[in-house]
Amino acid sequence: MARGLGQLFITAGLVILLFVVYELWWTGFTTKRDQHRLITTLHQEWAHGVTIKDPPIGSAIALLRIPRFGPKYLFAIVEGTSTADLIKGPGHYPGTAMPGGLGNFAVAGHRTTYEHPFYSVNRLRSGDPIVLETAHRWLTYTVENIPGTDARYQEIVSPSDVSVTFPVPDQLDPAAAPTQRVLTFTSCNPRYSAAQRIVIHALLTDSQPKSAGLPAALDGYRIRGT
Amino acid sequence: MYGWIWRTLPGGIPGKLLGCAVLLFATLVLLFLVVFPWAGPKLPFNHVTIDTTPSPGPTATAPAVPD
Repeated sequence: MARGLGQLFITAGLVILLFVVYELWWTGFTTKRDQHRLITTLHQEWAHGVTIKDPPIGSAIALLRIPRFGPKYLFAIVEGTSTADLIKGPGHYPGTAMPGGLGNFAVAGHRTTYEHPFYSVNRLRSGDPIVLETAHRWLTYTVENIPGTDARYQEIVSPSDVSVTFPVPDQLDPAAAPTQRVLTFTSCNPRYSAAQRIVIHALLTDSQPKSAGLPAALDGYRIRGT
Repeated sequence: MYGWIWRTLPGGIPGKLLGCAVLLFATLVLLFLVVFPWAGPKLPFNHVTIDTTPSPGPTATAPAVPD
């Protein structure tokens, strides 16, 4: 009897250890596989000139590069912020602006587990470029305080502070008419906790057609299809 | 529990070892492909979105009009 109980406890301990292995390592493996598929699909759509007006939930909408995180940093941003969407990669809040659009292009992403696309967002500093690749354009956002609003380039907020994703960020009125093109990242803070959210704001500072070559922020990058 | 499994598996020592390997593999597959993916999102430590539920609509914040 006592022996059976001991075996039960040891088994439970092993299962919990395996769960930690699953969360920290295996989830990255599955997300990498999903990302590979999403990026391939997006390149195929672009190559065939397919442009989708309202992208379905879970499909890739743009490619994200952040030079501060090195030239290997590449993620497909998917549409939607449900658990199932965020397992695949950083997710665009449906209903917020599309990439490069007037208003607020808001994106949530994992800071730990699932290949943790936003692991180091706390290292982003004012002036850092964030580059989006869409079907036809390069969009360069620059991390900075948003002029004319209370939105600082980095904020730690409560998990219910939805105003950071409003068209004019950090205003009380969700219907306020936007005049600027903003990008917002949200993730958990501190790492391995859900007590707060870390928020990064950036402003669109450059937009050029892909035919004009790589944007200045991606100097030295080698990119497929260019 | 493990003693009972060992005694129950047939086929002498080689058969018992093979049986153990199969059972271990099946358990790992069940945990990694079914149990852990179900349990993972239920834990709170990787919630990353700003919840939209408490968002007051434009009407909720409009000042009341006096009669």
